Amino acid sequence: MLRLERLESQARSLMATFRKNGFLAIDPPIIQPADAFLNSVGEDLRIRTYVFSDPEGQELCLRPDITVPTSLHYLAEHQTDYATARYCYYGPAFRYQSADAGPEKPSEIWQAGIESFGIDDREKAETEIVKVTIEALQAAGLNEFRLRMGDIELFYALLDALEMPKRWRVRLKNSFWRPRSFQTLLAELADPSGKEPREPCGKQVPCLDLNAPKQAKETVGAFLDKKKIPMIGVRTLDEITQRLLEQAADQRESGLSSEVVAIINAYLQISGPPRAALARINDLKDSAGLKLGPALKACSRRINLFAKAGIDLRCSEFAGNFGRQLEYYSGFMFQIEPAATGHTPPPIAGGGRYDKLIETLGGTQHVPAVGCTIQAERLLQAIYGVEDE
Amino acid sequence: MTETADKLILAIPSKGRLMAKTMDLFADAGHAVVRVGHERGYLGEIIGLPNVEVRFLSASEIAYQLRAGLVHLGITGEDLVRETIVNTGKHVDFIARLGFGHADVVIAVPKCWLDVNAMSDLEDVGQAFYEKHGHRMRVATKYTTLTRRFFAGHRLVKPPGQPHPQWQAEMGPVVSGYVIVGSVGATEGAPAAGTAEFIVDITSTGTTLTANHLKVLDDGIILKSEAMLVASKMARWSETTQEIRTLFEDSLKAKVT
Repeated sequence: MLRLERLESQARSLMATFRKNGFLAIDPPIIQPADAFLNSVGEDLRIRTYVFSDPEGQELCLRPDITVPTSLHYLAEHQTDYATARYCYYGPAFRYQSADAGPEKPSEIWQAGIESFGIDDREKAETEIVKVTIEALQAAGLNEFRLRMGDIELFYALLDALEMPKRWRVRLKNSFWRPRSFQTLLAELADPSGKEPREPCGKQVPCLDLNAPKQAKETVGAFLDKKKIPMIGVRTLDEITQRLLEQAADQRESGLSSEVVAIINAYLQISGPPRAALARINDLKDSAGLKLGPALKACSRRINLFAKAGIDLRCSEFAGNFGRQLEYYSGFMFQIEPAATGHTPPPIAGGGRYDKLIETLGGTQHVPAVGCTIQAERLLQAIYGVEDE
Repeated sequence: MTETADKLILAIPSKGRLMAKTMDLFADAGHAVVRVGHERGYLGEIIGLPNVEVRFLSASEIAYQLRAGLVHLGITGEDLVRETIVNTGKHVDFIARLGFGHADVVIAVPKCWLDVNAMSDLEDVGQAFYEKHGHRMRVATKYTTLTRRFFAGHRLVKPPGQPHPQWQAEMGPVVSGYVIVGSVGATEGAPAAGTAEFIVDITSTGTTLTANHLKVLDDGIILKSEAMLVASKMARWSETTQEIRTLFEDSLKAKVT
């Protein structure tokens, strides 16, 4: 059979499974306003997005994914009631790949996906997404695969439970997505003396009294006046003062304790069958006397729901550092890989929870959201191999 | 072989100091450039080298034409070549630094940002800025390629034994969570006008930056640029044009101090 026919019949199969499970098929436009993507993801994605302008000068793009267009569709349909909604889609997304990237990395990617919005029972919604994804993959003909998952919220809970200034926690959370920056930051926080010492205050920055933060703004303002530096731009004196106070406070800190660094690294190294991995995280928590709050319970509950829904946990893995390549997720994250041995094959499907996206896109209410995208060409290859192209 | 196939097309900046310095350097090296026809025309020739056709073009147009292979050799700023030609090594060869047109492509932020002096500060401020203002930090620049690469942690590093630097990944701090707003002119005014938070722009003396209340980040020099003699790998080269290239390379290099 020709590849195109296979791809089309695979698409019909995927969409049939989605529809059967109550997901409404939608067809969001391929051409999208660029700012929706750029503001939610930033320049990292823009590098790979085809951005152009229409004759009136409006900045548009070829959608680099279909989750954002689906979210915009949800907003348009439900901006008053924020009701529960389940959508599915099939179509192309476009991401620039350099000419050297090779045929296995095309710039036009066909994606099938499901997204659910507004379901308050989060683990239940996540279970549904994973279950329906696997059902669709199996119906399309994929027999062997691995499910890998993680949970950024659990990592955030761990950081919340560890002893450190709040601002360090925020920095560590933000850099989770960039492992190399994360390790640099962790090393820097562990040993602040390793960093080049800042010049003593007075010359380049004003001397602030940490015990009187309320006067700091005045001090900074007077310093700028004296140096004849005008305030320009939208960043306020408050914001600048706040961060100067944080920097001054950092200079007094002795750094993260080696215990805290060890716990963070131990957590990031945990991986294995989900129940075993969660048990190890539980041990880590108990031995360090930490409280992880509802995040760990949510992970355990999710795994139990997976088992009840018939998801095979024997070919599954939970990892503390999972998801460090994935964008805009806010909690549970997963991907499905071909069961091939040897090097790590690229995932066939990936998804997770993205509770902040609707608000980022202009929603006026917090809307829990979770979804998954299947890469159609990779799925086809996993089923049929690359022969008879 | 036809006559046109054996002609080397040399692009020279069509105005300003860059043109004057280029003409001086060629004359110095024994290859005086003269305009052909109308005084304001855009064609020229080199006395004694009938196989060379000189075209006077804007500095940025030269970079485009080198990429497209429409000219064999061009003299233009390294900044424009690296900005215009994303895959520089595939399309062009840097032949010689010419010793003029020095300028740095830098990241400059408002002086009043007393808490921001390095790339790592920008990364730090980005998230708080987004949460407070509801949009990403905006960077005004015409150097979108250079900015993205530099902010993705790539650095121009000179490999051992090679004359010109190449981009290398994972060499420096990463800045994320920003968006580029295009700027074609007066980039340095954008922060004061409130249309961008900071800029990436070219500076030679720093006077314009200072006048606009901006300061360069300590580790914010993206590229130390100067005028270069650049060869297009996309143009068709014959034995004759190759010989002329070598002639220019040797004679110009001998005059550059």
